[in-house]
Amino acid sequence: MAASAKTPISRTQTTSLYKPYSSSLQLPFKFLKVTPNSCAAKALSICCALQMEPKVGPGSQVPDSFGRFGKFGGKYVPETLMHALTELESAFRALSGDVEFQKELDGILKDYVGRETPLYFAERLSEHYKRPNGEGPLIYLKREDLNHTGAHKINNAVAQALLAKRLGKTRIIAETGAGQHGVATATVCARFGLQCIVYMGAQDMERQALNVFRMRLLGAEVRAVHSGTATLKDATSEAIRDWVTNVETTHYILGSVAGPHPYPMMVRDFHAVIGKETRKQAMEKWGGKPDVLVACVGGGSNAMGLFYEFVDDEDVRLIGVEAAGFGLDSGKHAATLTKGEVGVLHGAMSYLLQDDDGQIIEPHSISAGLDYPGVGPEHSFLKDLGRAEYHSITDEEALEAFKRLSRLEGIIPALETSHALAYLEKLCPTLPNGAKVVLNCSGRGDKDVHTAIKHLKV
Amino acid sequence: MACNLQTSFLPALKFPAEATLDKRRGNGLVVCSVASAADSIMTESTPTGSAAVVRSRPLSRREVETSERKMTDTTGKFGRFGGKFVPETLMTCLSKLEAEFNLVLHDPEFQEELATALRDYVGRETPLYFAQRLTDHYKNESGCGPEIYLKREDLNHGGAHKINNAIAQAMIAKRMGRKSIVAATGAGQHGVATAAACAKLSLKCTIVMGTLDMERQASNVLLMKLLGAEVKSVDGNFKDATSEAIREWVGNLETNYFLIGTAVGPHPCPSMVREFQSIIGKETRRQAMERWGRKPDVLVACVGSGSNALGLFHEFIADEDVRMIGVEAAGFGLESGKHSATLAKGEVGVYHGAMSYLLQDEEGQIVGPHSIGVGMEYPGVSPELSFLKERGRVESYSVTDQEAVDAYQLLCRLEGIFPALEASHALAFLDKLCPTLPDGAKVVVNCSGRGDKDAPTVFRLTQGSSPGDHKRHPVSP
Repeated sequence: MAASAKTPISRTQTTSLYKPYSSSLQLPFKFLKVTPNSCAAKALSICCALQMEPKVGPGSQVPDSFGRFGKFGGKYVPETLMHALTELESAFRALSGDVEFQKELDGILKDYVGRETPLYFAERLSEHYKRPNGEGPLIYLKREDLNHTGAHKINNAVAQALLAKRLGKTRIIAETGAGQHGVATATVCARFGLQCIVYMGAQDMERQALNVFRMRLLGAEVRAVHSGTATLKDATSEAIRDWVTNVETTHYILGSVAGPHPYPMMVRDFHAVIGKETRKQAMEKWGGKPDVLVACVGGGSNAMGLFYEFVDDEDVRLIGVEAAGFGLDSGKHAATLTKGEVGVLHGAMSYLLQDDDGQIIEPHSISAGLDYPGVGPEHSFLKDLGRAEYHSITDEEALEAFKRLSRLEGIIPALETSHALAYLEKLCPTLPNGAKVVLNCSGRGDKDVHTAIKHLKV
Repeated sequence: MACNLQTSFLPALKFPAEATLDKRRGNGLVVCSVASAADSIMTESTPTGSAAVVRSRPLSRREVETSERKMTDTTGKFGRFGGKFVPETLMTCLSKLEAEFNLVLHDPEFQEELATALRDYVGRETPLYFAQRLTDHYKNESGCGPEIYLKREDLNHGGAHKINNAIAQAMIAKRMGRKSIVAATGAGQHGVATAAACAKLSLKCTIVMGTLDMERQASNVLLMKLLGAEVKSVDGNFKDATSEAIREWVGNLETNYFLIGTAVGPHPCPSMVREFQSIIGKETRRQAMERWGRKPDVLVACVGSGSNALGLFHEFIADEDVRMIGVEAAGFGLESGKHSATLAKGEVGVYHGAMSYLLQDEEGQIVGPHSIGVGMEYPGVSPELSFLKERGRVESYSVTDQEAVDAYQLLCRLEGIFPALEASHALAFLDKLCPTLPDGAKVVVNCSGRGDKDAPTVFRLTQGSSPGDHKRHPVSP
C-alpha cells in the first residue's frame, strides 16, 4: 500500500495487509480517516491519503464530527436512532453555549447537588505512605462522595434531565445494574417532574430489592427484564429497544462515557466540572497543578470528569484503575483496558472483554459499578496515545483499601473508589517527596457495608 | 397547695425565683404564682373562678439580651432551666471542659482549623435549596403560598448535622490530651459522626447504643464498626445508652472524653453543642440575604433533644420578626401515651444533669418515649429550648408517625430527596403551617439529615402493599 500524508509532512511507506483484516492491526502511524485517491493503481493495491490526527486536548476537536476519538467511538446504532442522536448532539452543542442553560445548571449543581465538592487533604493517609525517612507524597481526595445521592453520577444525570426538558421530552429511560444509576436517574426525574422508567435485570432486582424500593419511592417505574442472563447488559438492550420505539417523547439517560456519540462527549463534559474545580482548588491550596490524578474506571465517567481538564497538561500524570476481580489470570475480572480487545459494544468502538468468537465475556468485580465488559472510547484513545496509564486492582486489595480509608480518615469510600485507593499502595513508594496526588473519591460506601462486613469480618 | 414539680434537687439548691407553679389539684383551684417581674402576672377568669396565672408575654429586646448574657454564665442556667445536676466527681471535669470551651471560642488557630475541617471534611457550607415542587404543592387555588427552602444538612459528611458538633468536640478532646472518646447514640447519626471524627483525629472511640435502636438502625451500627469504633450495647434505647455512657465516662475521667451529641446534659454541654451547631443559622442568615435580601420569616425544625433546632434558631433569637417552630414526635398521638412530645406533654424535672421539661409519670419516673424517628425518642429536651418555649419565643407542635412517613414519601416524590424520618416531622408540619402563611412568606426548614437509613423501615411498613404502590401507607401501632 502506498500512502502519502497531506502537508506539512510528506511520507511514503509501504505496508502489507493480510486477510482476514484484524481489528487490532497496527499501522505504522496514526490516522484519522482514509480517503481513496484515484491513481493509476496496480491490481491489488490501494492508493489513499491519510490525515494525521491533530494534537489531543480540550481545545481541539476531540471527538471529531463522527464522534471518533482516533479510531474509537462512533455511532454503531440502528438507523432509527441516528436522527435522535443527531438531534441530541445539536441540542447539546447549542446549550453548551447558552448562558441561561449554564446558569440554571450551575444553580442546580450548587443548591441541589451540593457543589463545589471539597479537595480534602488526607493527612493520616499521607502519613501512612511516608517512607522511613519521613518523605512521601501528599494525598488529596476530591470529595464526590459528598454529592447529593452520594456519588459523582448525579452531575451527569441532572444535566441530562435539564437537557431533556429543554428538548421538550417528558419521558426518561435508563438502565441500571446494582441500582445506583437508576436511583440517580429517578432522583433527577422527581426533581424535574419527568416520567421515569428504569430497566433492570430480574436477577438484579432480586438482589437489590432496597434500591428497587427507593426508585419506586422516587416515583419511577422499574421494569424487570427477563431475557438473556437478566442482568445489566440485557437491561441495556431493552432500554435501547424502548428508545427506538419512543424516540419522539423519550430521552435515554446513559450513565457513563460509553455508548454512541454524542454520549461519551456529553457525559464527559457534564462531569468535567470535577476537574475544573480541582484545578482551581489546587491553585488555591498549593499554588500549582496536581502531579498525579488517580481514578477508578468502570465505564470511565468519574475518571474522564477528573482527567479531561488536564489532558493538555503533559506534566500531569493520569492513572486509571480497573477491577482485576479475582485476578487478571482468573478470567473473572473487569480489566477491559488491560485484557480487552477492540470491538463494538453498545454503539461505540472501544476496548472490550470478548472471547475468540467476539462474544462478550461476563465480567466480574466485587463492585457493581466496575462490573462492565466495555469502557468509554475516550479512555481507549488515551491509553493508545500513551497519555493515560491503566492498571488494575483485585477484589481483595480493594477491600483492604476500603477498610484503610475508613479507619484512617473516617471516610467510607464506595468499593469502586476503593480500587483507586488501593493503587496508592503501589504508586506512592515511587513518587518523589511532596508530590501532589489527587484521587477522585467518586462515591461513598454506605451501599457497600453489607458486602464489606461479609468479607472483612469486622 | 401541691407542688407537682418533680426534681431530684440537691439539698443545697435554692428554689429558683422565676419558677411558676400552675398545676391544679383536686377540686380546689389553687394557683401559686411566683414571678420576678410583677407585670408577668395577670388575673384571668376561669370556669371555677378567677385565678392569677402567669402567662408568657413576648420578650423585649433588652430581656432577650440579658437572658443571652445569663446563658453563658458559669451556672449554665437558661432562666430556671439547665444547670449542673451532677455528682461531685464530675464537677471538676465539667469546669475544666467549660474552661477549655471558652478558650477555643477565642482561639483563632482553633477556629481556623475547625473552619477548614468543616469546609474540607464535612463539606460545608450546606446549600439553602429552594424546593420548587414542594412550594407548588402547597399553593392554594389562587396560586398563592409561602416559599419553602430546605437547609441541606443532609449533605454533610455522615449524612446529618451531628458532625458539626462531633468534629469540633473531638478537636477539643485532642487538645485536652484525651485519648479516648465515649458517646451515646440513638438513631446512630451521632455515633457515626463521632466514629468518623475519631478516625480522622486518631482517637479511640466507644459508642454506646440501646439494643432496640441497634435493631432499627442496623446500617448505622455497621458504619460505626467499619469506622473503627467499638459499639457497646445496652438494654433499651437512647436514654439508657446515655446513662451508660456517662457511667463509663465517670469511671475514667482522666483519659475519657464524653462527647455529647445533643443540647442536653449538664453545663457546659448544652451551650457547647448549640454553639457548634449555630453555624447552621449563621449560614442561613447570609444565604437568605443573598437570595432574597432579608431574613427568613419562619424557621421550622424537628425537635428530638433540640440540637438541630437550636443550631438553626440561635442566630435569630433576637430577631423578633422571625418565627421559630419546633416540631416534636407525637408518635401514635398525644393521647395514646406513645409519643416523645416533651415540650407539649412534659413537666419540669432534672434528667441527665440538667433541669428541663421531661416526660415523667406521677411518681417522677421517666416515661419511655416512642417515635418512628429514632432520633426523636428522648424523654427530655434541651434546657435552652424549654426556656425559649416557656418565654414564647419558640412555638412547639407535634406530628404523628403516620404524618412523618407521609412527609418522607412526599419529599422523595416531589424533590428527589430522602429526608431522615426525624426531619420528616418538620416537613410534615408544613401541611398545617402553609395554609396560614401569607403569599411569598419565606420558610426555611432544617433538613437535618438524609433518610437512607430509614428506607428499610419505610420499606417494611409498606411491604403489605402491591409493588410500585407509593401511595399513603398506614402506620399501625
